[in-house]
Amino acid sequence: MRRWIIFSIAAATATVLLYVFYAGFGTDPHAVPFMLAGSKAPMFTMKRLDTGEMVQLKDYIGKPIVLNFWATWCGPCKLEHPTLEWGYRKYGREVVFLGVVFEDSEENTKAFLKANGGGWPQLFDLKSTVAVDYGVAGVPETYFIDKSGTILGKYAFPIDPPTLAKRIEEIL
Amino acid sequence: MLASLALVVSLISGQGYAPVRPAVDPLDQQREQRVMRLGKKFRCAVCQGVAISDSPASMARAQLDKVRELVAQDRSDEEIETYFIARYGEWVLLEPKKDGLNAFLWLGPVLLLGVGLVVILSQVKKKTVATVPVEAPASDDFLAQVRADLDKP
Repeated sequence: MRRWIIFSIAAATATVLLYVFYAGFGTDPHAVPFMLAGSKAPMFTMKRLDTGEMVQLKDYIGKPIVLNFWATWCGPCKLEHPTLEWGYRKYGREVVFLGVVFEDSEENTKAFLKANGGGWPQLFDLKSTVAVDYGVAGVPETYFIDKSGTILGKYAFPIDPPTLAKRIEEIL
Repeated sequence: MLASLALVVSLISGQGYAPVRPAVDPLDQQREQRVMRLGKKFRCAVCQGVAISDSPASMARAQLDKVRELVAQDRSDEEIETYFIARYGEWVLLEPKKDGLNAFLWLGPVLLLGVGLVVILSQVKKKTVATVPVEAPASDDFLAQVRADLDKP
């Protein structure tokens, strides 16, 4: 009887440990979890680069929002820019596009936008506190927020047109 | 796969560096020490196992500035920890919490060691008290003959 109790404890412990190791081996230890899916988008107030006016997220609640964190020093962000421009031209009437400039200077951003275009509002995250509020773990990252202000998902790589279209359809 | 692609793309397209931005004004000495102590607990989002207070990455500086902002608002350590876990999950903690399933990870090996010790001790005890086998009486004629032959001088 005693032998069975010891065996059961050892077997149970080993099973749970094996499960934990199995679950651990199946995940990338460097992948930053996305925790804000289904949460209300953190509110912010930032300066709009082209007009200088202060912009609040709450002003846009009621429409679907594509919120893109980027920087001019980030190569993938430059590659992604034409896709966002395409998305803005196609969906700009139904969806609010907002760019958030992360860890960059106003001069660099203005020069980049002058050379590459982009008609959607670009907001300047001066101390990157908005990026941390959203759990950003590098650029580019694009958040998809529905009409009620709930974050439905994010895309943490340079987005391509089919993915952008699919994600926008989800928040419309 | 996607991460590898992103790396290749970034290498081809010339991934740059964030420009140096002006340092944030430090708090008073006592609160700044608290910022640094908390900064040792949280993992930089773009580094490999480096605390935000030890990393020069722009993301780490942004995270540390957030800690500084929350400390300046007199938030407690628990509130600041909750803030970071809500955004980055428990992944952000360099030392995982010791509750829930994590507690099992901390205690599991100790428990297994204990079970092993009990098994070893019980085996040793069994060996010590085991009686010396008594010679079984000969039960057949052949065995009796062999013993008799062996006993012959």
